[in-house]
Amino acid sequence: MSAERTDESGQRGLRARVDAFTAREDAWKWTFGAAVVLLALLPLGLNSFWTRIALGALMWVGLAQSWNMIGGYAGYLDFGHGAYFGVGGFVTGIVMVKLSLPFIPGLLLAGVAGAALAYVIGVPTLRLKGSYFAIATWAFAEAMKQLALILGITGGTFGMSLPTAASSFGIPIPGGLSETFFYYVMAALSLGTVLLSYLVLEHSEFGYRVQAVRDDENAAESLGIDTTRVKRQVYVLSCVIAALFGSVYAYHITFIHPNDVLGSLITDQMVIMVLLGGLGTIYGPVVGGLTVFLLSRMSSLFLGSSTIYLPLIGVLIMLVVLFAPSGIVGLLNGQTSRADVKKNVHELADKFDLL
Amino acid sequence: MSDTPILETRDLTKQFGALTANDRISFSVSAGEIRGIIGPNGSGKTTFFNSLTGFYQPDGGTVLFDGTDVTGWKPFRIARRGMGRTFQIVSPFKNMTVRQNLKAVHTPDDLDDKEARIDEILEFLEIDHIAENKARGMSGGQQKLLELGRILMLDPSCILLDEPTAGVNPALEKRIMGHIRALNEQGTTFVIIEHDMSVMRAVADSVTVLDQGQNIVEGPFDEVKDDPRVREAYLGRHADDEGVPI
Repeated sequence: MSAERTDESGQRGLRARVDAFTAREDAWKWTFGAAVVLLALLPLGLNSFWTRIALGALMWVGLAQSWNMIGGYAGYLDFGHGAYFGVGGFVTGIVMVKLSLPFIPGLLLAGVAGAALAYVIGVPTLRLKGSYFAIATWAFAEAMKQLALILGITGGTFGMSLPTAASSFGIPIPGGLSETFFYYVMAALSLGTVLLSYLVLEHSEFGYRVQAVRDDENAAESLGIDTTRVKRQVYVLSCVIAALFGSVYAYHITFIHPNDVLGSLITDQMVIMVLLGGLGTIYGPVVGGLTVFLLSRMSSLFLGSSTIYLPLIGVLIMLVVLFAPSGIVGLLNGQTSRADVKKNVHELADKFDLL
Repeated sequence: MSDTPILETRDLTKQFGALTANDRISFSVSAGEIRGIIGPNGSGKTTFFNSLTGFYQPDGGTVLFDGTDVTGWKPFRIARRGMGRTFQIVSPFKNMTVRQNLKAVHTPDDLDDKEARIDEILEFLEIDHIAENKARGMSGGQQKLLELGRILMLDPSCILLDEPTAGVNPALEKRIMGHIRALNEQGTTFVIIEHDMSVMRAVADSVTVLDQGQNIVEGPFDEVKDDPRVREAYLGRHADDEGVPI
């Protein structure tokens, strides 16, 4: 009894300290600073293999965060987001291979192409809502994949190889194009995406307007918010980020194929990561991205199967959707309480006559 | 109240297939007036609001607001012009705090200090103590006040309220009515849809009665309630009852 009380009070004490810290105005600066230091030092203790795993985790955290901008904060379930990742990769490839330019112009042009395409696609599709928007964007992504498979400039069904020389980066790199170099590039992009989400979508008037569109589009419009413009802006922003990740990924992996970088699995993973972590939250894509990516890598490493993680993720998603709809982060920050989970379990059990 | 109309419609018509929800409605609201809109369920009141505020594109007629033809304008442009509105179902941005709800509003370009304006509005509505609370955890009444607060951020010259006291307790109803009167004294025009006739009698300078999409009668509440056309609209033909059910 006494031990239980100690535990409870200990937990309360920890929660109180966490709450007190997060309530501080400069909490985000400390958190972000700690993340920068941690990620800067991480490769020092990792070999090439684990650096590659960390690099992948960072990429997926950033990609999930980019999807969260349109899917989570704006509430528009974009099932074509992966197309921008592929477009970013192919634009960089074309710039480097066909135009013989270094990577940096390729990266910039990937961003520009992503923005232009997102604007053009966003104009008609963002008029749609709910599942209509999801289907339209999914169809767009499929069309992009088929296009890349038949075009000569993308290498068609043969895919495309990118240059691997250190000089192709555009500026001298100490140590050459090592795994660690790409780790730092990906870490900078991923941290930048999280920081951008925090500052622009969580703590700015623009972010409040994006969330207003998600919560009630008509009410937002009645308050002078040009919802069409806001949706287009956040959609373009999220797609540019996906394109930039695609660009870095292509340069790192040096071979891209439409079935891989334009495949629907890219979007599916982003959606799953965000749903699992917590939709429309800053930490959700971080937690979800790390969980799903590491689960997939660890299962192939320790269980010898690269697909066993899929049913595990499936079960996790079902549990989250059924019992804790605000994701893992919602469970941790109290948005979904233990009582809510219990209630959800009982409701489901009653429905299927399990109790 | 001045004689200058701030909001006018001429033959405003809205159809949904074969149903004419608003049938050539003409009405005029003077600046500084509180106008009530009453009518039985399905008489076209909310459709009328939606046509006035740009949520529906009228099939005919015009909407004039503050001397400008705003027919066919998008809702956000009408709001920026100074016409605010609430919805029948209260619609706060539930995942945001009260303060963030107000910050999201597109304020007039000449507003220098948005934070100060927010504080002023929260204090006026007596919800400053819950400024940092999430809207999702607030009571229905508090959410109604929050809605009103958001509209005030637009600095509107005319506010359209769709059933502002529906589902609120008598104490809060009194508070809402008090806020409406106070704002009206400062010059804000109100157009209010309300089913509670005691509220209409207490607050409205005049009422417009809609029935089957048509403006059937207008005038001070006490005159309108005894009008046979109004009795017929509410109670059917050959009704023996006396006036609108109050």
